[in-house]
Amino acid sequence: MSTDERNQSTDAHHDEHHTVKGPGYPTPAAMRTESEREKTAFVMGVRVGMDVDKPDFVGVVDVDPDSETYSELINTVEMPNKGDELHHFGWNTCSSSCHAEGLVRDHLIVPGQRSSRIHIIDTSDPRDPTIEKVIEPEEVFEQDLSAPHTVHCVPGGKIVISMLGNANGELPGGFLQLDQDDFSIDGHWEVDRGDMRMNYDYWYQPRHRVMLSTEWAAPETYYPGFDLDDVEAGKYGNSIHVWDWETKEHQQTLTFGEEGLIPLEIRMPHNPEETEGYVGAALSSNILRFWEAEDGRWEWEKVIDVADREHPDWDMPVPGLVTDILLSLDDQYMFFSNWLHGDVRMYDISDTGNPRLVDQCWVGGNFAERQSIGGHDVRGAPQMLQLSRDGRRLYWTTSLFSSWDNQFYPEIGEKGSVMMKADVYPEEGRMELDEEFVVDFGDAPGGPARAHEIRWPGGDCTSDVWQ
Amino acid sequence: MSHEVTLEWRDGREATVNVRKAETVTDATERAGLGIPYGCLYGACATCTGRLLEGGLVHVKRARGLKPQHRQDGYVLLCVAEPRSDCRIEVGAEVQADLVPNPWK
Repeated sequence: MSTDERNQSTDAHHDEHHTVKGPGYPTPAAMRTESEREKTAFVMGVRVGMDVDKPDFVGVVDVDPDSETYSELINTVEMPNKGDELHHFGWNTCSSSCHAEGLVRDHLIVPGQRSSRIHIIDTSDPRDPTIEKVIEPEEVFEQDLSAPHTVHCVPGGKIVISMLGNANGELPGGFLQLDQDDFSIDGHWEVDRGDMRMNYDYWYQPRHRVMLSTEWAAPETYYPGFDLDDVEAGKYGNSIHVWDWETKEHQQTLTFGEEGLIPLEIRMPHNPEETEGYVGAALSSNILRFWEAEDGRWEWEKVIDVADREHPDWDMPVPGLVTDILLSLDDQYMFFSNWLHGDVRMYDISDTGNPRLVDQCWVGGNFAERQSIGGHDVRGAPQMLQLSRDGRRLYWTTSLFSSWDNQFYPEIGEKGSVMMKADVYPEEGRMELDEEFVVDFGDAPGGPARAHEIRWPGGDCTSDVWQ
Repeated sequence: MSHEVTLEWRDGREATVNVRKAETVTDATERAGLGIPYGCLYGACATCTGRLLEGGLVHVKRARGLKPQHRQDGYVLLCVAEPRSDCRIEVGAEVQADLVPNPWK
């Protein structure tokens, strides 16, 4: 089935074991093998913190090599307000509701990280998305929440968004629940927050009734930029939180200390049987693995340590800054980015506790020799990742967050960031930068923009969860 | 009463905007279409950071995005700032980056 055609649903999605039609795929393997190649990508375009007097936009990038507009930004849907800082986004429904009849994956939930405004985008035509509804910040603040981040659709007709702050941009954060039917605010998802105060990303494994959430900092702390004094003052996260997915109660805190400073993106295998996963600790530049032990408690260990590197122009060793991680749909490979170094790494994780580095792609950043592609300067370094469903193409963008960009890669603030791609050869355990593919968001209509998270119509490695 | 606020960009550009009573500088610059950056609009995110060069300006909400040192150095958050006299303010996206230099460089 094509995932890029108008009004796509899974009507054409035949599976002899699942007769009920729904908005996703019955298994991760079905998504990997039965979906077609991605033809368009939704990419967040951000103007916050730039002298560009325009709103952020949801961009549509043509990723169909047979198209005349291949590797071009073919459409931009500008938000109704400026200053949102579009960042991460998610679907109204996904494979977690695969068996629910009548649901269609046709709306994106697009929050503003700074504005706390939440946009509902109708993507029935993936080449021409339209804004359907806007939840204004005041409605969000009424819940004593702010700074929306990760969006997952969850079984039972709901959408849950991790929220990093209270209505004043201070701690604690929480989780905001929306209704899938009319996109109205239900209230908080969580029933008992326990000792969780900071929030960032989350993943869940419904078969095992578990959800895990990570920590960045209070919005008032990370919004203005990264200050080491704030790390020393304990204002940045170093723990993750285990929740009971059914009762919505906090169960356990895993505290990493120095090994896990600023644990951001968290991923669990797509296989719904698995009770383990990985989190990238950005500042410590470690990958930590966590798992459920026999007694039901969760444990953790460090499995990858990215070494700091000396740079002639820097006074102190430069950490990799692991800002995004991703698992392939077959759970065989892990990819992550080192935003300050300038590389993307590919690990074989078939032995989950012993990830094996198989390849690395250097471009941009502070250490890569290659600083341009197709005549375009690589401003920033590999950051947000997205893998094709078949695991053969890895795409990424190079902006992190407006104020942090301005601090570490100020040229992004002037000229925007870029989107790139590597071809991945899973059978051979390697990847290769595609020198023909670059989308320069410096040339976006209306002025330069920072390219951020990427999603495919029809779902992807970081959107879908299986029950 | 209203106040004349002169805005100065680092590239030498200058503009003057009339900020009305009980109006923030950001509301006035948006009304005038001057395109000064902003984000959260409640004083937490510091996207709208400017530097007060001359005149009286008060924060009408807590400027959470600024540390005490930033305030001593004259940085202001325009989304929660109201003038109390005619002012001159340095503006533009680059000003915010003054607050947090690269800590390792």
